[in-house]
Amino acid sequence: MGLKSESDANESMKLCVFDLRRGQTEGQELDKILFFYPPDLPLSNQLSVIGLSEGLITFTRIFSPDAPCEVIEAEKHSHVFYEAEPDIWMVLVVEKDSEAIWRVDALRSVLKEVHSLFVMFHGYVRALVDKEPSGGLVRSHLYYFIMDFLRDFSIGKKLQLPNFRGSLKEQGTLQMLTVGREAAIEVQSLVTVLESCVGNTQCYTMTMFQDLLVSTNLSPIDSLNLFTYAVLRLTPLALFHGASSWSHSRKTDTACNTYAGALLLSSGSAMDPYYNSRDTSPLRRHSYPLVRPLQHSKWSKGKDGFLTTDIWGTEVNSLVPTCPTIWLHQTEEKMFLLAYQHRGLTVILLVPVSSISGEQGIAMLKQQIIENASLKMLKVEEKLSRGWGGENAYHVSGYRYLLVDGDRYISRASPPGKVTTLTKESLIALSKLREEVDSEKVRVKWDNSSCEKDLEICIRAKNNAWLIARLIRGKELYMVLEKASETLLYASDAAEKFSERYCNGAFSLD
Amino acid sequence: MKDKNRATTSLLKRVLVNCSAQTKQYGSCVSSRVPEVEKDMCLKEFIVLKNCMQNVVFSWKTAPYNPYAAPSSDPISEGPVLSIRYSLDLKLLAIQRSVYEIQIWNKETGDTVSQKCRSESESILGFFWTDCPTCDIVFVKTSGLELYSYSTESRNLQLVQTKKLSISWYTYTHESRLVLLASGMQCKSFTGYQLSSAGMIRLPKFEMVMAKPEANSKPVLAAEDVHVITVYGRIYCLQFDRVAMLLHSYRFYRDAVVQQGSLPVYSDRIAVSVVDNVLLVHQVEAKVVIIYDIFADSQAPISAPLPLYLRGFSRANVASSQTAGKPSGASGPQNSSDTEVTIYGDQWKFLTPDLVIDVSNGSLWKISLDLEAISASSSEIQLILEFLQRRKLEAEKAKQLCLAIVRTIILERKPVPVVARAMDVLLTAYSQAIKTGSYYKRITAEETSPSNGSGVNRPNAAGSESTAGIDASRSINQEPGIVSGNDGLSIGKTERGDFLEPDMLGGEDLPTGHSQIPGPTSNQLNSNASQRNQSQVTSSAATSPADYYSHVLAPIEEEMTGDGSYLTAIIIEFLRSCSLEKLKVYPNTYVLMVQILARDECYAELALFIMNKIIEPSKEVALQLLESGRQNLQIRKLGLDMLRQLSLHHDYVLLLVQDGYYLEALRYARKNKVNTVRPSLFLEAAYASKDPQHLAAVLRFFSDFIPGFKSTPDHQTYHHFVAELNA
Repeated sequence: MGLKSESDANESMKLCVFDLRRGQTEGQELDKILFFYPPDLPLSNQLSVIGLSEGLITFTRIFSPDAPCEVIEAEKHSHVFYEAEPDIWMVLVVEKDSEAIWRVDALRSVLKEVHSLFVMFHGYVRALVDKEPSGGLVRSHLYYFIMDFLRDFSIGKKLQLPNFRGSLKEQGTLQMLTVGREAAIEVQSLVTVLESCVGNTQCYTMTMFQDLLVSTNLSPIDSLNLFTYAVLRLTPLALFHGASSWSHSRKTDTACNTYAGALLLSSGSAMDPYYNSRDTSPLRRHSYPLVRPLQHSKWSKGKDGFLTTDIWGTEVNSLVPTCPTIWLHQTEEKMFLLAYQHRGLTVILLVPVSSISGEQGIAMLKQQIIENASLKMLKVEEKLSRGWGGENAYHVSGYRYLLVDGDRYISRASPPGKVTTLTKESLIALSKLREEVDSEKVRVKWDNSSCEKDLEICIRAKNNAWLIARLIRGKELYMVLEKASETLLYASDAAEKFSERYCNGAFSLD
Repeated sequence: MKDKNRATTSLLKRVLVNCSAQTKQYGSCVSSRVPEVEKDMCLKEFIVLKNCMQNVVFSWKTAPYNPYAAPSSDPISEGPVLSIRYSLDLKLLAIQRSVYEIQIWNKETGDTVSQKCRSESESILGFFWTDCPTCDIVFVKTSGLELYSYSTESRNLQLVQTKKLSISWYTYTHESRLVLLASGMQCKSFTGYQLSSAGMIRLPKFEMVMAKPEANSKPVLAAEDVHVITVYGRIYCLQFDRVAMLLHSYRFYRDAVVQQGSLPVYSDRIAVSVVDNVLLVHQVEAKVVIIYDIFADSQAPISAPLPLYLRGFSRANVASSQTAGKPSGASGPQNSSDTEVTIYGDQWKFLTPDLVIDVSNGSLWKISLDLEAISASSSEIQLILEFLQRRKLEAEKAKQLCLAIVRTIILERKPVPVVARAMDVLLTAYSQAIKTGSYYKRITAEETSPSNGSGVNRPNAAGSESTAGIDASRSINQEPGIVSGNDGLSIGKTERGDFLEPDMLGGEDLPTGHSQIPGPTSNQLNSNASQRNQSQVTSSAATSPADYYSHVLAPIEEEMTGDGSYLTAIIIEFLRSCSLEKLKVYPNTYVLMVQILARDECYAELALFIMNKIIEPSKEVALQLLESGRQNLQIRKLGLDMLRQLSLHHDYVLLLVQDGYYLEALRYARKNKVNTVRPSLFLEAAYASKDPQHLAAVLRFFSDFIPGFKSTPDHQTYHHFVAELNA
């Protein structure tokens, strides 16, 4: 795993989390740092990264108090900024090299993702900081969480962050399964049965098939977080391989890589001089009930069909693992997480912690679900898998596309296997095009937030591929047409046809 | 009607004895007005008296049943009457004068034919008319069956066929066209013939089961212990085993008689009625009725035992009905209005299928089901709904009850699966009704009904007389009042002729209207008749998805505003049932769903439902989305998208303009050739954006594409505005 970081020189990436409200007095600067990767980087180097970031933030705030610095493009590095919570900043520093052509937005979405997942499991960083002003609590949580998270990106000895090859993907979106009406009703009816098992309290469900979302009644943000986590750790694929949320095609080879890292972390060896040197208080895992939801290979399917993990520890005096809990973003309610899996179907049920009396209540609930709903889940699974077209279900021949519905955080793209057939030039060009579109979107947002601007860009790349971007009323369509004819008319027609046939005409212009 | 008194005394004396009540009424009427005597005064009373004094047979139609109907009457000659039956075409009247003689009187010609037994060794047990092609009337004698045909020309009866058989007693119902002949020492060996328009079928001989009280005794099966009933077009025979206290049932097939099981009996005296294909077993001594629906092979009663309840019987009513249908009972008891009616009195005689003749009161009761009471007395929602769905006679009422039941369980927040099962039952029945066509029959029947007074249904629904129901049902009934209102006063007709068997009169019609129609049904003794029935009776309790919306979902939604997620779940289950049965959902159901979800701010779910087409697109839904989208832009967009997908170009363009997307609207309008939106709307929107270029572009667009636009005031106004903005 890449976390060993033999030397700083090899490490092309840095990621830090710091709190601008801490360490504001001379000599206390270290206090700001909540997390730093690579952890073994000398403190002085860490401080210089954070110092630069803080300086820029402070400076740009003078001109733009609401949206300070977003990115620094230096000759050899890019610094991507993300203000996760007020005065809690995350900065990603990446080295520029030949393979590393990326979109800043894609990088920032990595930061967003890790933060929102963190909040889902541990609550807000600020709350943790306030809970224990010494910072030990939040540091240990962040440390394990982000390290576990980053392990998903490791390829060989390096961390592979999203780059131009992922330009036909949109991070931070849900991928939905298209289901027929009948199946959709069946699913909804299953949801009803599950809810009736819980009783009168408001609960939430998320139904997934393979890695795709089928139905949920969570708020969009919560759906997104839970979906991300499920794809990372809970879906059938994720259970078999230590999955990577970034590339389905890479999933197969990451499991072995993570093993070493797991050893390393669990041994608690001398890996981080930072913590060891700084913390005089008994900070580490012994003093805090450390929960590492992103730890690999910790979930497994039980005999009863429910997924189990001992990440949340086990009940005193029993071998029954404690039921996982998460925080809902919208209601800030703590929920038990129950996941049931039958073949491709994963059903996640969130029940308010307040409504259930401990593990016994959970066991009863599980029993009830098995009694009342398992048959129905069987039926639903059958129905869904009958209608499921497989990995390449959403491939449209001749097109390589990405569809994003920004209103609902939904995206759909050509299957990864098909995207890899595109040439590097096309992908790089598309990445640049998207960068343009991103900045255009930001501009529109500043100009006039009430009215959505429509946008259409059609570019012929050097390799004679057509790159098309259309933004209409909050929906985005990107496509690459290689080996297409030469005329613009053709490209435009192709886009039109696609829109009519697969998007209900949502992207049709004149 | 009949005079059974061998009139040895003077005619006047007989009249005074038999018609004293009528005489008294007439007398008091006249005397009350004495000074102003005039013609036709007290006419009603006079006619009553007059009828009483003559030998007349009265007949009422019992199906369709109308308590107001005036009887028809035929004078008959004097003499004893053992039984009397009209022929199927009502032209002939057969009167059994003794066990040796039957007279047939031709109403049109006035001829009388008399048929007597040839030898003293045989006697006539009874007779019945038949629509069998080879014969008209069948005599059942102790020595066998004799089939006669009657010819008008020769005015005599011709013996067509004889079936030699030693017969102890027999039972016949015209509904089933089946005559069962009992023979043997214990009278438990049976031979059956079905005489239908398709000919005569001989059923296999069979024995009934009887428990023995003691080892050596051999109980004899009596005629009154055997009942032939017809439900759902199937013919059953019920045999009351007094020793075992069981009611054994046998089902008749063309080639076999199969015992079906036994129902428990809790009374030494029982009677059997069939109303609307429901079997009622009267436990006479316990004065309750146990109700069975022998549709499936279930032997379980539909509800707890229920009492029989007399409805519509009041003195005032009797008086009024007497005027209309006034029988003059020669030997009748006192004026019935003075008599207390005893339920299950000793004089009650049960007639097939659903009539009761109360000899002591001179009244005829028709049994009807109080569906409300029955449904109220059962907690098995699924069973009771299935039961109600099978009711044809009061289909409309059954339907309303079904909807009310569903409404109630939802309001009581029964668990969703319970409600779902209930809806499944109803929608399955509906789709069945659609397939068999009975649902459409009902629609057409309803359409034509105004003229007809909705024929079959109404008078019954009126709840004419006796009803199986619990007392509580009365109070329930009061509220819906409307239905029973006008019928309230229609009561049982009082009739006083003990020997008149209404069964014969109406009975002849009954079958044609009801079950065994000639043709195919009578060919086969079993079931497929039920299908015929369904379509014939022209009604079905099926509840369409639209009914659901208007009678269940919409009213409930108003009462349950606080419980959106429960309601949503219910509607989802409803949609599931509909899609299972491939039924079309009434668009307003979706509108309702959108309202509920939007009110609870479940925007994500709503979007999901729209995307999955769980909520099917329609203009109504789109407009509701736009309406609900006032609070949420995404929802509004869903509405817009739906309009576009439905190709409702005009609305789509209009809304785009309203939202300020006038350029897009213009492009779209041009592409889809929408020219119904006023140019000024676009111009206003462009002007509101304060962009002179855009405004100019819009202006130019209309100038180019609308001939003559340049001369309109719009053009000038906005031309002016462009200049202004540019300035």
